[in-house]
Amino acid sequence: MSELLRAPAEMKYAEELDWLESIDDGPKPFAWRLSPKMVRLFILGSERADGLDRPVAQKWFGDRSFVERSIVTLASDRGLLLIGDPGTGKSWLAELLSAAISRNSTLVVQGTAGTTEDHIKYSWNVSMVIAKGQSRESMIPSPIMTAMEAGAIGRFEELTRSTSDVQDALISILSEKYISVPELAGDDNGNIVFAKPGFSVIATANSRDRGVNDLSSALKRRFNFVRIPVVTNKKSEAEIVRFRTEELLRRHQIELDVPPTLLDVLLQSFADLRASAAAAGSDDEKLESALSTAEQIGVLEDAILHGNFFGERALTAHTLASSLVGSLARRDPEDLAILNKYLHGVVEPRSKEEGGSWTEFLEGGRDAIATLS
Amino acid sequence: MSGTDESAFGALRGQLQEAAQAFADGPGALEGILLGIVDDVDRAVREPLEIFPVCHHSPASATAMARRLREKRPKVVYLELCEDMAPLLTELRNCRLPVAVQAFATETEGFPAEWAPLSVVAPITEASAEYQAIAYALDTPGVELVLVDRSSDHVYQWDERAPQAAAAADPDAPPAEEEAALHGDAVGVEIGDLRPRFAELEEHLLRHGRVRHWSEWWHQYVELPLGDSDHDTYRQVMLLIGSLFRRLAPGDEHRVRVDEDRERYMWTRMREHLTATGTDPADCLYVCGAFHAASRVAEFGVRGADTFEIGPRTATKWQHGLIPSSHAAIEAQFGLAAGSVSIAATVWAKNLRRTKVQPFRLAGQNGAKSGRATKAVAAAAQAAQDPTGSVASSGESGAAADRLSGFLRRPPVLDPLDEAELLGWSVEIVRAARRNGYLASTADAIAVFETSILLAGMRDRAKPTPYDFQDAAVTCIEKDSVPGRRDVRRLVEIMMGGDRIGQVGYDALPPLARDVHDRLKPLALRLEQRGVQRALLDIASRPELERCSDVLWMLRRLLPQGAARPIMGERRLGERSIQESWDLALGTHQRALIELGYEGISIEQVLEQRLRRTAYAPRATTATVLETVEDATLYLRSRRLADELGARALETLAAERSVDGAPEVLRRVRRLLAFYRTSEPVLPPWIERFVKTGYAHYCTLLPTAFTDEDAGVRQVAAMLGFLFSMESLALSLGCDRTQLELAVAQSHPEDPPKTALLWAARTQLGHLTRADLRARCDELLDNPLVVPAYPRYLSGFVQALEPVPGLTDFVVEAVSNAFARLPDPVLLPWLPTLITTLRDGGGELAPLLIREAGRIFPGRLTALDAWVPPWREAPDPGVPASARRAEAGRGVALLAAHPAACDAVAGLLGCDGAWETAAAGPRGAALVDRHPDTATALAVLLAAG
Repeated sequence: MSELLRAPAEMKYAEELDWLESIDDGPKPFAWRLSPKMVRLFILGSERADGLDRPVAQKWFGDRSFVERSIVTLASDRGLLLIGDPGTGKSWLAELLSAAISRNSTLVVQGTAGTTEDHIKYSWNVSMVIAKGQSRESMIPSPIMTAMEAGAIGRFEELTRSTSDVQDALISILSEKYISVPELAGDDNGNIVFAKPGFSVIATANSRDRGVNDLSSALKRRFNFVRIPVVTNKKSEAEIVRFRTEELLRRHQIELDVPPTLLDVLLQSFADLRASAAAAGSDDEKLESALSTAEQIGVLEDAILHGNFFGERALTAHTLASSLVGSLARRDPEDLAILNKYLHGVVEPRSKEEGGSWTEFLEGGRDAIATLS
Repeated sequence: MSGTDESAFGALRGQLQEAAQAFADGPGALEGILLGIVDDVDRAVREPLEIFPVCHHSPASATAMARRLREKRPKVVYLELCEDMAPLLTELRNCRLPVAVQAFATETEGFPAEWAPLSVVAPITEASAEYQAIAYALDTPGVELVLVDRSSDHVYQWDERAPQAAAAADPDAPPAEEEAALHGDAVGVEIGDLRPRFAELEEHLLRHGRVRHWSEWWHQYVELPLGDSDHDTYRQVMLLIGSLFRRLAPGDEHRVRVDEDRERYMWTRMREHLTATGTDPADCLYVCGAFHAASRVAEFGVRGADTFEIGPRTATKWQHGLIPSSHAAIEAQFGLAAGSVSIAATVWAKNLRRTKVQPFRLAGQNGAKSGRATKAVAAAAQAAQDPTGSVASSGESGAAADRLSGFLRRPPVLDPLDEAELLGWSVEIVRAARRNGYLASTADAIAVFETSILLAGMRDRAKPTPYDFQDAAVTCIEKDSVPGRRDVRRLVEIMMGGDRIGQVGYDALPPLARDVHDRLKPLALRLEQRGVQRALLDIASRPELERCSDVLWMLRRLLPQGAARPIMGERRLGERSIQESWDLALGTHQRALIELGYEGISIEQVLEQRLRRTAYAPRATTATVLETVEDATLYLRSRRLADELGARALETLAAERSVDGAPEVLRRVRRLLAFYRTSEPVLPPWIERFVKTGYAHYCTLLPTAFTDEDAGVRQVAAMLGFLFSMESLALSLGCDRTQLELAVAQSHPEDPPKTALLWAARTQLGHLTRADLRARCDELLDNPLVVPAYPRYLSGFVQALEPVPGLTDFVVEAVSNAFARLPDPVLLPWLPTLITTLRDGGGELAPLLIREAGRIFPGRLTALDAWVPPWREAPDPGVPASARRAEAGRGVALLAAHPAACDAVAGLLGCDGAWETAAAGPRGAALVDRHPDTATALAVLLAAG
């Protein structure tokens, strides 16, 4: 496993999933590997009161009702569409859900402007078709078709990025639950691929891109929407950042401590910037970034890597500030002006009042802005 | 007071002790807490004065209360509610609930002035135990209702924080809707606040209950199990919960102290009442929050210590009234989950149907359904025939049986929501969603039904609760956007009973509000209803409507925006509407109208008070005082008040040292002068003195204002406007023009706009001619060093249109010259400034300029080629000045040649003078002839030089 840069959830938590499956005595819908309650436990983690022999770590942070609604949707007849700002953990939740339910989270179609119907249904191995003609062997099933055949969960990332006609190919899959292959009309094996029980689709869509290729109402009807909001609760946000950072540190094999005060500084600065973005009147007055939790993690990771390889093998407020400015300043005059205003209007008084890491943070920010402008 | 093992709770104590030992490895804090809880319950149960613990918005409490009251029939009911609110409670019968009892004080004494106005509200819903107690006590002869909690005054006395902080809602809460803001920023008091006081406990309970918020937890784990339980079980369980929250987490120190003081207060009041009336405690019932029922203060109980001294109230004068409330307002104020009070109301109605408990209702209560009332009467008759209740009164028996053990051992009661009901809801929500623009179909109804059941299964419930149903509906119907005004969550809330908005009936309104309704009767509108209603006033054909119009204009001035909004018609000095149409929303803004009632007995009185307050405020400026004069004339038609406020305006003007308000003062004085000139035989003395004082005042300030950086061009222009336009009146009242001339002579502005203004003023005074002015402008344009500043001079000229409107053609000329001669780098940046100057000047300056420009410039494109600007035209060479003078003399010659008409007029007027011929030769020379000394002396001097 260590040879993989990033193992999918079902490999990473294989052992835990096996154990959960072994103790699961709840009713399982279709061919699910775990019962809905166990799926929830796997994603949201266990507590002492659950009376389990070993603790199960929380893997996704957010309102539990989102997870419950998502699981229930997959157990019903409809597909699940996770919608939210970038960096809110939609794809991660989708991966965890499919790993827990069908032990395979890799049946993924990535929606882009270039996605075609073939990517959703099937395509042909041209050389085999030339050699043997069109048959089941020469057909290349799409991940969605594979999921149908296996009764597993298929995933469709960034659904709204693909064009409307491609999206609409999903309609028949979601309602009739089969794909017909007209090219194999005379084939004895049948020209229809039926979905096995347990098949469902988890799609994700970015709410910032709404309108790029808006979903048709027919497709909307076949999906239950679960909107994942940006985490604004400071406590759970701290949890997420800590959890993800530890994982990243482990991946990079870096031994470095993240001082809790610096984590507070990071969370507070994001909270401040979000508040100012909420109060801003026009787009020019707010940062282009969505200021999601994922971006916080990005800032922290950047700072840690910088501190580890170029610094004194320690994370400092100075590095954190320059990493923050570096990550958030995307448009030259506007974003820099906002960050500059933030540093002078909010951080400076705070550094005078509270001192500590804020003073160093202010200096780091100033240096970074000076370098960029 | 602590019970012994012989008491009814001995067995439970033993079990808890064992549990404490098992979980905490020996006796310790846990044992103390657990046994302490049993002690608290035991003590409260043994109290001779029966304590009835309640929780707010709990239908179970209300049902238990109704049942208990019918059973026990107490003679005195003590209620945990501010004691000064008592007289109002009987007025509840004139209202549609929910309404809030309000104590209100605008003028505070003994509190920081910035806290004003003070406002305390106690909302009362129908599904509450306190309403049951109130209805029983007020409608049963011989029963006394005694409110025992601290007064509204003490609420503020004991409040260490600012009132705003006390009323601050949950920061994560969604923005308040209109209904949620019904209580304004009042401090809420409520009976039976019962909620864990440390976040961890609440979080723990929510997590394990698999619920999202406290209201849902309460519904699931207390409300439902207690719904059908008997009195003793209800009482003991509520005491247990009160004691548990109290012992586990007392919360912050100040809050605990206030709570304990309130308990001392209440028990002291109750003992006082018992002693004074000699009532047997067994005949009484004390209704209080479960939290207070588990109190451990020394004053607790009929035999408690008498050590608490109730402090005096401050001298603040409190007014009391009822204001409309709503479920949303209650939820917002007390941090409850949205929809929880509505769900409580629905559960209450359902409980009544199921348990056949007959609720109490105040006679004549609005909103009563006749069908239910008859049923209730029938049930009451049955209850009267069958008085053997299921439980004996525990308060009377002294030792209660242990009902706790059984309750605690019982598995959680499941929500009795049946399948048919869920199906009904699923269909109903899809219909509601469709009506609100969602693309929902029968397939969605099926999905909602299925998802509700699946969700309930996930959350360890056999059947879905209303909250599960809400989640399911959101999951299946809500897509990426909300098509209409309401989202699915809100639709479910509405379906579950929806927000109910109370209404204060006519009889319960303060005199002012009643008076307003009476006076608006001719409009024939149902003004007490919520929503906007259109009123059409055809005053020309129905002159009696003019009085309504007066009331409406005053309401518009006094009430918040939207309560009364004129669509057609306006009220300006000296004008009278023939027709008006209004959008009225008095029902929606009932609270504002009621709060107005605290200030006086008629709207005229309130308006007069407010105008006086504004005028005599320490920071009042002349402009604001003049505004009050205008309002007094406009709305009250009161010459007396206008004169008084006018005198005040004079005082403020004399004391004012800044000229910031000059434009406003000029505008208002002009308007008032025009009004008085047309409507009164003589001007009021105050305005004459105002003009006189103003003339002197602005003359004095003029030189400073010209140089002062803080005084803008607009201000100086307005000062000049005042001086020039009021000049004739001021001079007729004895002012001296020299003062103005001196002031202008003393003014030496450095700022280009102000310099231009000064030039304009001097032109008006005759010190400068047009030619001079034109020459100066040309000079500016010719000098390359000054050209960049030229636009600023122009701004000054534009402002000069206000005091010297005669210069309009010159300003057009100057602007045209600027367009013609200024280089682009100077001209283009200046254009926005010109536009903003003209826009700031309002509608007055721009039309003037445009009209003049229209007159000067050719109207058609073809005429442009041949057009020469008037200022470029060569002056008329043919008429020399002397000829003009000769021409001027021609009239005199004509008069001398035909003297008949003049003689006839003279004869009529009684003058008998003869015609004289003017002496030939210049008059000055004659003077030199007569007094030659000066000229001779000058000649000598010149000769000597």
